[in-house]
Amino acid sequence: MKRDHQEISGSGSKPAESSSIKGKLWEEDPDAGGMDDELLAVLGYKVRSSDMADVAQKLEMLEKVMGTAQEDGISQLGDTVHFNPSDLSGWVQNLLIEFNGPTTTPDPNFNDDSEYDLRAIPGVAAYPPVKSDPGLENTRKRAKTESSSSSSSTTTRPVVLIDSQETGVRLVHTLMACAEAVQQDNLKLADALVKHIGLLASSQTGAMRKVATYFAEALARRIYGIFPPDSLDPSYNDKLQIPFYETCPYLKFAHFTANQAILEAFSMANRVHVIDFGLKQGMQWPALMQALALRLGGPPAFRLTGIGPPQPDNTDALQQVGWKLAQLAERIGIEFEFRGFVANSLADLEPEMLDIRPPEIEVVAVNAVFELHPLLARPGGIEKVVSSIKAMKPKIVTVVEQEANHNGPVFLDRFTEALHYYSTLFDSLEGSGLAPPSQDLAMSELYLGRQICNVVACEGMDRVERHEPLTQWRTRMETAGFSPVHLGSNAYKQASMLLALFASGDGYRVEENNGCLMLGWHTRPLIATSAWRLAGTESGSELTQELS
Amino acid sequence: MVQTHRCEDHETVGENKEKRPKFFINDHVDILIEILKRLDGRSLCVAASVCRLWCTIARNDSLWENLCFRHVSPPPSSVRSVVLALGGYKRLYTGCVRPVRSRLGRMRKASWARDEVQLSLSLFCVDYYERLGGSNSNGRVVEKSSPSSLMFLCKPVNV
Repeated sequence: MKRDHQEISGSGSKPAESSSIKGKLWEEDPDAGGMDDELLAVLGYKVRSSDMADVAQKLEMLEKVMGTAQEDGISQLGDTVHFNPSDLSGWVQNLLIEFNGPTTTPDPNFNDDSEYDLRAIPGVAAYPPVKSDPGLENTRKRAKTESSSSSSSTTTRPVVLIDSQETGVRLVHTLMACAEAVQQDNLKLADALVKHIGLLASSQTGAMRKVATYFAEALARRIYGIFPPDSLDPSYNDKLQIPFYETCPYLKFAHFTANQAILEAFSMANRVHVIDFGLKQGMQWPALMQALALRLGGPPAFRLTGIGPPQPDNTDALQQVGWKLAQLAERIGIEFEFRGFVANSLADLEPEMLDIRPPEIEVVAVNAVFELHPLLARPGGIEKVVSSIKAMKPKIVTVVEQEANHNGPVFLDRFTEALHYYSTLFDSLEGSGLAPPSQDLAMSELYLGRQICNVVACEGMDRVERHEPLTQWRTRMETAGFSPVHLGSNAYKQASMLLALFASGDGYRVEENNGCLMLGWHTRPLIATSAWRLAGTESGSELTQELS
Repeated sequence: MVQTHRCEDHETVGENKEKRPKFFINDHVDILIEILKRLDGRSLCVAASVCRLWCTIARNDSLWENLCFRHVSPPPSSVRSVVLALGGYKRLYTGCVRPVRSRLGRMRKASWARDEVQLSLSLFCVDYYERLGGSNSNGRVVEKSSPSSLMFLCKPVNV
C-alpha cells in the first residue's frame, strides 16, 4: 500500500488522525479507548443508514461547537482519529461529549506513532511529558480484554516508537491471508484473521487504517453472512455521491471530459437531446448548458431525459432536478425540455419510451457515468442496454467507468485488485487538503466504503460493483457495433487544468489512452472516460475543427 | 471627504491651480476609471474602500469584466448576458477566475488563458446551479448558503 510520508512542518495538509502529529497542542479524545473496542468487535456492527440524517445533524452541531471552541482559543481537536469509519454516529457522539466536557486525559494513542516523533521538538508544547496515568492504563486494559485472546499479550503499547510501517506490511499480509482463507472456505481461520486485522489496523494512521477497516468489515460480513441491509438502495448511494463530488475531482473529471465529447458531437445541431442514464443531482449538465449557451452560432434547443432509481419516500427527485435545470436554462437563455424516468434497472428501459426523434431533427447523446457496470450482475443486462442504446441512434455515447478489474471469477483476485484500487483512492482523498472532521470527507469515505463492502461481501445479483477495465469495455462496445471517438486535446487540456486546481493536484495524473482519457493518482489510473459512436456513421469531429 | 466641484474641461485645471493647489482625481472620473481599469483584483477591492465615489465605480461590473478577460481576446457578446445572469463579473472573478489563475500559476502557459476563462465559466455555472437550492429531500426549500462545489478552490493549496 502506498503511504504518503509528509513532514511535520507540512501542517494542515493531511486530514489524518490524532496520532500523526502536526505540532499542535491538543487534548485528546478520551473515548478513543472505547472506540478501539468497536473496531475490534467487527461482528454484528452495521452501518446504520437510518441514522444517517441524525449523524449529519450531529456533525453539523459538532462543527458549530468546534467553531466556537476554536474561537475561544482552545486548539484542541485539530485532528481526530476516525477509528471506526463506519460508525459515524458513535464517533460524533464521542466528539460531542468531549467538547461539552473537555477532560485532559492524554489519549492512549498519543504515545503511539512512529514516524512523527514529536519529542524531537524542544519544549513542552508539542509533546508534553507523558504521565503514566492509571486511568489511561485502565482504558487500555479494557480495550485489550474485550479483544480476542491472541492480542492481549502481543500489543503492549510501549511509549516508544512503534514501527508502523512494519505493522503496515503485516496488515496487508493478514488481509491477503484472510481473503485466501475465505477463498478456501476455511472460515474459522478467516474469522481469527479478521479480528487480528482489526487490531493491526488500529495501529495504523490515515488512509491505510480506513481502507483496512473497511476491508475487514467487508470480510467479516462475508464470513458471517451479514449483508448490509441497504446495499440494494441505489437512491441512498446517489445521496452519498454528492460529498464525493465535492471533495475529489473524479466525478468532475468525468463530467467535464464527457461534456467536451458531447459538445463536440453537438457542434452543428439545432436541436439536441441528452439521455442521462444516471441523473442523480444533475451536476453534469450546468457546465454543458453554459457551453451550449456560449456556442458560436447560438444555443440549440436542449432536451434532457434523466433516468433514476425509485426513491424510498416516493418523492419525485428527478422532477426536482429537472426544475432546477430549467431555472438555470431560463437564466442563460436556452430552450429547455426535461423528462424523468424512474427505473429499477437500466435494462427495464425501452427506447420507445424515450420519445426519440429522428436524427435529422434532433441529435442524441447518451451519457453513462458509472452506470453500466451494475448491469453486469444480471445475465443479459448489458446486452439489452447496449442494444437499447443502438436503437436510440445516438451521435455519441459517453461512458465513464472505474479502471479496475473487480469482476473476475476468482474471489481472491477480486479482493487483491480491490485492495490496491481502494488504497489508492483513499490515499488520494487523504491528500485532498480537507481538515477533519470534514463531513464531506467522511461521507466520501463512506461512499467508497460501501463499494468495498459490495465488492468483497456480496455475490450474485447483489454484487453490483462489477468494475471492469477500459480494455474490456472497449471490446464490449466494439463487438456490439460501436467505434471509438477520440477525446480531443480540448478535453485533455480542460481535465489537466481542472486537476491542477485541486489541493493535491500534483498527485493526479491525466493520461491519454488511445483516444480515451484516464484519471489516476500517481501511477495508478482510477477512472476512464471513453466516447463511442455507431460504427459506420461519421463522427462529426471533422466539422468541429472549423468552429474551434 | 469628497469635494464636488464642477470642472468644465481639462485645460482649466491648470488655470485653476492657483485657486486649487491640489489636483482632485475625483473631479476626473474618466481618468479615474482608466486607472482603476488597470488594477488587479485585490487593489480594486481596496480601492472600493477609499470613498463613496470610488466604491460606486469599483462596483461597476465592467471593470471586473475587464479583469476577467484582460489577457484574453474579447469574448463574444453572448458571454456577457450569461455571466450577468449567473451573478455578474465581480462574482465570476472573485469566485472562479482569480482562484483558477492563482492555482494554475505554476503551470500557466500563455495559450491557456482562454481555457482558464472557459473553465472558470463552467465552474461558475455549476456554482450558480448549486445555489439554486430548490427543495431538499425533506420538502423544505433550501437556499444553500455556501457554494460547495467551489470549496475546493478555497482550500489552501498543498504546496
